[in-house]
Amino acid sequence: MRSSTRSWIRDGLGALALLALGIAAPQAAPGPREVVEQTSEQVIAVLNEPGLSREARRERVEAIVIANMDFPTVSRLVLARNWSRFSPQQQEEFMREFQRHLAATYGRRLDEYQNETVTILSDRREANGDWTVRSKIVRGADGRNDILVDYRLREIAGQWKIIDFIIEQVSLVANFRAQFQDMVARGGPEHVLQVLREKTAKGEAIAS
Amino acid sequence: MRKDGCRTGRMAGAAQRMAAILALVLAASTGVAGAGDRDPSAGDPWEPMNRGIFWFNDQLDVYLLEPVARGWRWIAPEPVRRGVRNFFENVRFPIVFVNEMLQAKPADALRTAGRFTINTTLGIGGVLDPASEFGLEATREDFGQTLGVWGVPAGPYLVLPFLGPSTLRDTGGLAVDAATAIYPWFADWLYLIGPRALEAVNTRAQFLDEVAEAKAASLDYYAAVRNAYQQRRQADIEDRTDDADGKGGPDEELYEIVDP
Repeated sequence: MRSSTRSWIRDGLGALALLALGIAAPQAAPGPREVVEQTSEQVIAVLNEPGLSREARRERVEAIVIANMDFPTVSRLVLARNWSRFSPQQQEEFMREFQRHLAATYGRRLDEYQNETVTILSDRREANGDWTVRSKIVRGADGRNDILVDYRLREIAGQWKIIDFIIEQVSLVANFRAQFQDMVARGGPEHVLQVLREKTAKGEAIAS
Repeated sequence: MRKDGCRTGRMAGAAQRMAAILALVLAASTGVAGAGDRDPSAGDPWEPMNRGIFWFNDQLDVYLLEPVARGWRWIAPEPVRRGVRNFFENVRFPIVFVNEMLQAKPADALRTAGRFTINTTLGIGGVLDPASEFGLEATREDFGQTLGVWGVPAGPYLVLPFLGPSTLRDTGGLAVDAATAIYPWFADWLYLIGPRALEAVNTRAQFLDEVAEAKAASLDYYAAVRNAYQQRRQADIEDRTDDADGKGGPDEELYEIVDP
C-alpha cells in the first residue's frame, strides 16, 4: 500500500517533470532578438544600480556580455585564414587575450554612461542562417547623437550567441580582421600575441 | 580627419593642389608598388607613403588640433558648438543638392533645398536647425559617393595631408565638390582659412572621446582607420547609413569560417 503510493507519487512527479521540460524547452533557448533584448536590459539594469563601484559594475557588465558572445567563433572570424597559422596553444592564448583587450577598452566606455536607452529596430535572417538584430542607442532627445548598433548572432549548440557588433555600419570583426592581417603578415602569430599582451597590460593599467 | 574639407579655396587653386597631390602620389607609387607581402584585399598599394602621411596628420592632431579642440570645448558651450556645426552643414547645401540630383534622388534633393530655405531664414543664416524639427533631416552626399553610385571603383586608399583618409576616387570627388561649394565663388582663399580652421576645430571637439577610444581599442591604428573609412564609405554609397530597416551590411564572406 505504502510502496504503491510512493511509486504513484514518483511516477506523477516524473510525468510532471517531463511535461515541464516539454513546455520549458522552447522557452529555454531564446531567439536572437530576445538575446539582444535581454542582454541590453541586463546591462542597463547593472548600469542603473545605485551604489556599485566602478570595478564591480565593469565586471558584471563584462560577465553579461561575454556570456552572450561566442569567443571561439569571433576569434576564428577575426583571424580568418591566419587562424591555422596559430598553434593550438597560440589559439587559446589569442582567444583569452583578445577577450581581455575588448573588455578593457570597451569597459572604459561604461564610465561615461548617461541614461542611454536601447531600442530594437528590426531583425532579419541572413543567407547562412545567422541573424542580424538592428538596434539604436538613444542619447538625448533630438536623435542627433544616437548610435546605430547591429548585432550578428549565430546559433551555436542550441544557443544564439553574438558574433559581431556593427557600429554605425562598421563591423568590428571586419575592422579587427584588417588589423590582424597586417600584423600576421608582418610578424606572424607571436607578434600578434605580443602586441595584444602589451596593449592589454597598458589598457588595464589605465582602466584601474 | 573628416574628409568634407573640400572647399578650401578657389576652384582653380583646389584643382591645382589636387593635381599636384595626385602627381606626387603616382610618382611615389611607382617606387613602392609591389613591395613585400602586403595583403592586396586591403586596397592599399601605397601603404608606406600613406602611413607616412597618416603619421604626419596624427602628429598635427596630437600637438595642435586636439589641444585646441579641447580648449574650444571648454570655452564654447554646447549650443555654440552646435550652432557652428549647423552653420557649416547649411553652407554645404549646394554640394549635397547637386549630388542628390546626380544620383537621381529628386525627393532627397527637394528635402535638402527645403532644409536650406528654412534654416537660412528661420534658422538665422543656418545657425539653428528648425528644419530637422519639421522632419527634414540632414543628408550627406558628395561627388565621391556619386561616383561610387555610378559604379566607379574606390581605387587605392589614399591618406591626404591635413584632410585624412580618402581614396583615389574620393580625392577626385573633392575637387568637384570644391567647384560646387558656396564660398569659393565670392571669397578669396585667404579669407577662408579662418572659417576652415573653426570648422576643423569644432568638428574635432565633437569627436574627442571617439578618437581617444578608437586609439585605445585599435592594435594598429592606421589599419583600423583605413578599414573603418572603407566600410563607412561603402555604407554611405549604398545608402544604408541612416536607414533603420535597411538591408545589406558587411559582405557575407566575412562570416564564413575558413577551414584550412
